[in-house]
Amino acid sequence: MLSHITRRILLMIPNVIAMTFLLFATVLSFLGSPAAAMLGQEASLEEIAALNKQYGFDRPIIVQYFDWIAHALQGDFGRSYTSQQSVADALLPTIPVTLELSLWAILLAVVATILFNSVPFARRVVQPITTTLAVIGITIPNFMLGICLIFIFAVKLRWLPTTGWVPWSAGVGAHLSHIILPVVTLSANYFGSFTLVYREEYKAAYRRLFIKVARAKGLSEMRVSLVHALPNAILPVVTYVGLSLGPLVGGAVVTEMVFSMPGVGRLFVSAIGAHDFPVMLAIGILVIFGVMVANLISDIVYTSINRQVSLG
Amino acid sequence: MTTVSDNRTRFVALWREKLGKLSVRQLIGLTIITILVVLGILAPYLGLSDPNQSSLDILQGASANHWFGTDALGRDVFSRVIHGIRVSVLIGLGVGVIGTVLGVPIGLIAGYARGTIDLVILQVIDLFVALPALVLALIITAIVGSTAINIALVLGFVMWPQMARLVRGQVIFIRESVYVEAARALGGKPSWIIRQHILPNAIRLVIAQFSITVAFGIFSSASLSFLGLGVPPPAPDWGTMVREGVQFLAFSPLMSIAPGAAVTLTVLGFYLLGSKDD
Repeated sequence: MLSHITRRILLMIPNVIAMTFLLFATVLSFLGSPAAAMLGQEASLEEIAALNKQYGFDRPIIVQYFDWIAHALQGDFGRSYTSQQSVADALLPTIPVTLELSLWAILLAVVATILFNSVPFARRVVQPITTTLAVIGITIPNFMLGICLIFIFAVKLRWLPTTGWVPWSAGVGAHLSHIILPVVTLSANYFGSFTLVYREEYKAAYRRLFIKVARAKGLSEMRVSLVHALPNAILPVVTYVGLSLGPLVGGAVVTEMVFSMPGVGRLFVSAIGAHDFPVMLAIGILVIFGVMVANLISDIVYTSINRQVSLG
Repeated sequence: MTTVSDNRTRFVALWREKLGKLSVRQLIGLTIITILVVLGILAPYLGLSDPNQSSLDILQGASANHWFGTDALGRDVFSRVIHGIRVSVLIGLGVGVIGTVLGVPIGLIAGYARGTIDLVILQVIDLFVALPALVLALIITAIVGSTAINIALVLGFVMWPQMARLVRGQVIFIRESVYVEAARALGGKPSWIIRQHILPNAIRLVIAQFSITVAFGIFSSASLSFLGLGVPPPAPDWGTMVREGVQFLAFSPLMSIAPGAAVTLTVLGFYLLGSKDD
C-alpha cells in the first residue's frame, strides 16, 4: 500500500514538471516577447531589449522556467501586467469561491446519481426519465443551462437572485441562494456522465452471485440494492470523479462567467482577454498541479477502499 | 464481373442494412444532424435576411418578420442562428478529423505493440485525459488567435487521447483473436495485419467516437466563444451570440436562448449518433 502510494507520487513529479514546462514553453514561445506585448507597437527595439533584460526574458526558456518555479514555491508568482498587483494577491481570494462551487457540484452530482439510479422503485419507473436527463446533462453546455435557470428562477419566478456572489459572512440564506443555480449548472454534466458509469457498474454488480445469495436469504429488494449492489457500483465512480476533475475546471470557468462569480475562472478569462501572461500562467500551472494532486488522491482512495486492486 | 448497376444495388442494400442496424437513439441523432446540415447548406437560399446586415430595428422581440427578434445591431437572430450551423458544424467536423487522425494511429500502435511503447503512450493518454482541456484550449487559442482553423486544431489536439484510448482497448481485444494469430502464423507483417484485420474490426468504434468527438468539439468551441474566444466577428457564431445576448435576457430572452438551444441540439444530435443504447 505505502509503496504503491510512494510510487504514484514519484511518478507524478516528472509528469507535473513535464506538463507545466510544456505549458510554460508554449506560452513563452508563441507569445514571442512578452516585453513587446507590454510596450505596444510603437516601442523601439532598444526599449524592448531593455525590458526583456529587466524581466529576464532574454534567458533560455528552461532557466526561466526553473526560476519561475523557485519563486512560485515561495509564493511569488510575479506581478500582473494589467493591475500591477501581485498575482498571489489577486489569486488567493478567488480560490475558495471556485473550490466551494466545485465541491458542491460534485457532491450534488454523486448524490443525485445514486438516488436516481439505485432505489429499486425509482430504477424501474424513473429510468427512462433519468436516461433522458443524463443525456441532456451531458450535451447541454454550461452556459445554456445557466442562462435557462437564470431565466426561469430569477427573471420569471423571481425566487432567486440572477447573478453575483455573497460570502457566508453575509448570511447563510443569502449565500446559498446565490450559489444554488451555479451548483446545479455545473453538476448537470457530471450527473450525466456519472449516471452512465454508475449504471453500467450497477448492472454488472447485479449479475453477480452475491446478489442471488442475498435474494435467496430473503432480503428485501431495497436492502439488496442499497447494501449489496450499491457499494460495488460506487467504486468505479470514485475513480471517475477523479478523472473528471479536469473537465470540471473548464465547466467551472464557464459557470463562473455566466453567474459572474469572483472565482479563479473569471480571473483567468479576464487575464486571457488582457493577455496578462503572469496571471494566465500561474492559474494554468496551478490548475494542472491541482488536478494531478486530486487524481492522485482519488487513486489512493480507490486503492484503499478496494482491496482487490493489486498494490504491487 | 460486377457492373456499375450491380455495385449500385449492392451499395443501396448495404445502406439499408446499415440504417436498419441503427438504434432508436442513433436514428434520432441522424435525423437531427440531417435536418441541421440541410438547413446549413441551404441557408443562403432560404430567403432569410442577410445574417450580417445590421438595421435600425434593434432589440426587437419575436415577430412575423423576425422569428427570433433582432440583436443589438438590428441583425435578424433567426437568420444568424441558421447561418451559424455552418460555422459550428464545420469546426466540429474539423475537431473530429484532427482528433481521429492523431488518435487512431497512436491507439493502433499502442494496442498492437504493447510493451514499453504502450506504457509510454498510455502515460501520455492518462495525463491528457486528466488535464483541464478547456483551460489548455483557452490559453493556446488566446495565444495563437481564435480563427476557425486554429480553434479546430487546438480542440482536436486536446481531444485525441479519448480516441486513442478507445482504439487501444479495442486493438488489445482484437489482436488476441484466432484470425489475427492465424495471420501472424502465415507470416503477415504487423502493418499488413493492422490494415487488413485490426482496423476493419475497429472501424465501427472509430466512427462512433468520431461522432462523439464532433459533438464535444462543437460543445467546447461554443464554450470558447462564449468566453470571448470565438470566430472573429461578424461571422454568426452561436457561443458569441449567447455571450452578446445574455445581458438582454430579461426582455429579449430568445437572443441568447435560441443560439444556446441550437448548440445543445447540434451536440445532442452528434452525441446520440455516436452513443450506444444502454
